[in-house]
Amino acid sequence: MSHAPSAHDDHGGHGQHGHEHASHDHGGLAKYIYVFVALCFLTTLSFLTYSEYWPKSLGSHEVKRLFMMAVSCTKAMLVILFFMHVKYEANWKYVLTIPASMMSIFLMLALVPDVGARVHGMFGYGGKYSAERMEYVGKRRDVDAMIAATKAVTEQHGDHEAGHEPGSVEEAEAVQKGEAEVEKKIK
Amino acid sequence: MATLAPSHHDTHEHHGHPPKLVYQPALPIPNGKLFMWLFLSTEIMFFAALIGVFIVIRFGAVVWPATHEVHLSEPIGAFNTFVLILSSVSIVLALEFAKGNQGATAKMWLAVTLALGCVFLGVKAYEYNAKFQHGIYPWYPHSRVHERPDVYFGSAVRARGNELLAELKVQPAQPSPAGASQPTEGAAEGAAETETQASEKQAESGAEAEAPSKPAAAEPPSEEAVRRAGIVSDLIDQAKSTKETDLALLAAKIMPMPLSESHAHAGGLNEEESWLKMPVVIPGGNMWASTYFLLTGFHAIHVIVGLIVFAIMLTMQFNAANAGIIENVGLYWHFVDLVWIFLFPLLYLF
Repeated sequence: MSHAPSAHDDHGGHGQHGHEHASHDHGGLAKYIYVFVALCFLTTLSFLTYSEYWPKSLGSHEVKRLFMMAVSCTKAMLVILFFMHVKYEANWKYVLTIPASMMSIFLMLALVPDVGARVHGMFGYGGKYSAERMEYVGKRRDVDAMIAATKAVTEQHGDHEAGHEPGSVEEAEAVQKGEAEVEKKIK
Repeated sequence: MATLAPSHHDTHEHHGHPPKLVYQPALPIPNGKLFMWLFLSTEIMFFAALIGVFIVIRFGAVVWPATHEVHLSEPIGAFNTFVLILSSVSIVLALEFAKGNQGATAKMWLAVTLALGCVFLGVKAYEYNAKFQHGIYPWYPHSRVHERPDVYFGSAVRARGNELLAELKVQPAQPSPAGASQPTEGAAEGAAETETQASEKQAESGAEAEAPSKPAAAEPPSEEAVRRAGIVSDLIDQAKSTKETDLALLAAKIMPMPLSESHAHAGGLNEEESWLKMPVVIPGGNMWASTYFLLTGFHAIHVIVGLIVFAIMLTMQFNAANAGIIENVGLYWHFVDLVWIFLFPLLYLF
């Protein structure tokens, strides 16, 4: 069922459209191209959550993440079933993949009450960081303070001029204004 | 496991054949393929551990930086995903052509896979470089990322500033904040003078030059050095404050927080003056850097191993008989692609 080698050994670069020329895998190569197209489509789909086409009613973070994980799992299954040929393998595929997948999921779940409960705690368990320890941790309000400070800085310097001339009145006023905003955010 | 064909001890039957032993393989696949699948299941565990830890840390963290805050670009990640998917297609095509006894075409597709893998690594190196430029490293002391604009950040800014001033061979400005503006202005005036007269002028202003201690060997500080010293002294002064509002402003001047995803580059002193390399504040940034570099680093190591194997395979000849080699290496490469398919949304899109 294979081609005479001499006829096609120098086929070189035209191989990619060669599924008409290929022999026993006449339908096979086309199938890989279809899977590739599907994978590209799914990759662009993962950006869908950020675009304007995403239904507003499904706007919550959790739904978006669930959608992205579903897209990833679909892509993974396409690669596994077709590129790794697992769809056409015998029952040993279940023996190998199912225990490994179960163990991976159990591992992740097992980490949740351990590392996952370390900071916030869950169901009254965990959350063991001391108040002093939490002093050193970056917090959301630090992000807000940085954002407010950034806005203050960009209002002063239109084009981000390099260097500063301390002591200029303009600068002092702008710093005061920025300070006031930042204080509001921190408090 | 051998099965014995039924043996007949009846006296009536004289078959004259010895009992036939029929060996059944445990699995209907070659040993190499079985090994590769077993190895892949261990790799599943390996990456499951890393990805699981990332998920748990990320969702258990107090604060986590957004992608634009750590200069992560989703289009670049998507391009890398596309490159790896293409390379999966090319290795599959190599296998199909090898099975069809078209060895040269198979090798051509192997070379394409190798090239695409190198493109992936090149893009990754570009991304890593962008992180390093912004001071985001996986560990101290290289990492210049601080979690909060607190006094430790301020002291790190001053330490770096003093280091810079020592390098520029210009003395730091006098301590008092009020007096600091004058030496710096003196330096600014000094910059306006010609270089030959600069040392004299700076001796007059009294704060900047080290000329007395290094009489003959030192050249007068150039305009550029004076300008830089001015910037650094200014930052050191701002970093002396213990108020977090001041330090937040300082951090925003050094590296402002990009306000949205539409512009990754918000400017800031670290970017305008690439020699500055001041500490930066990214809340949650260090944990982010640890997990990001761990996940992508291990993935990149696996890609490199795959590329080495492809390079070795390019020295071999392929036909239907040894197409199994391409199949097994292809399984490994598809797995590498699979891991990236999961890493991309976790790191870039979540």
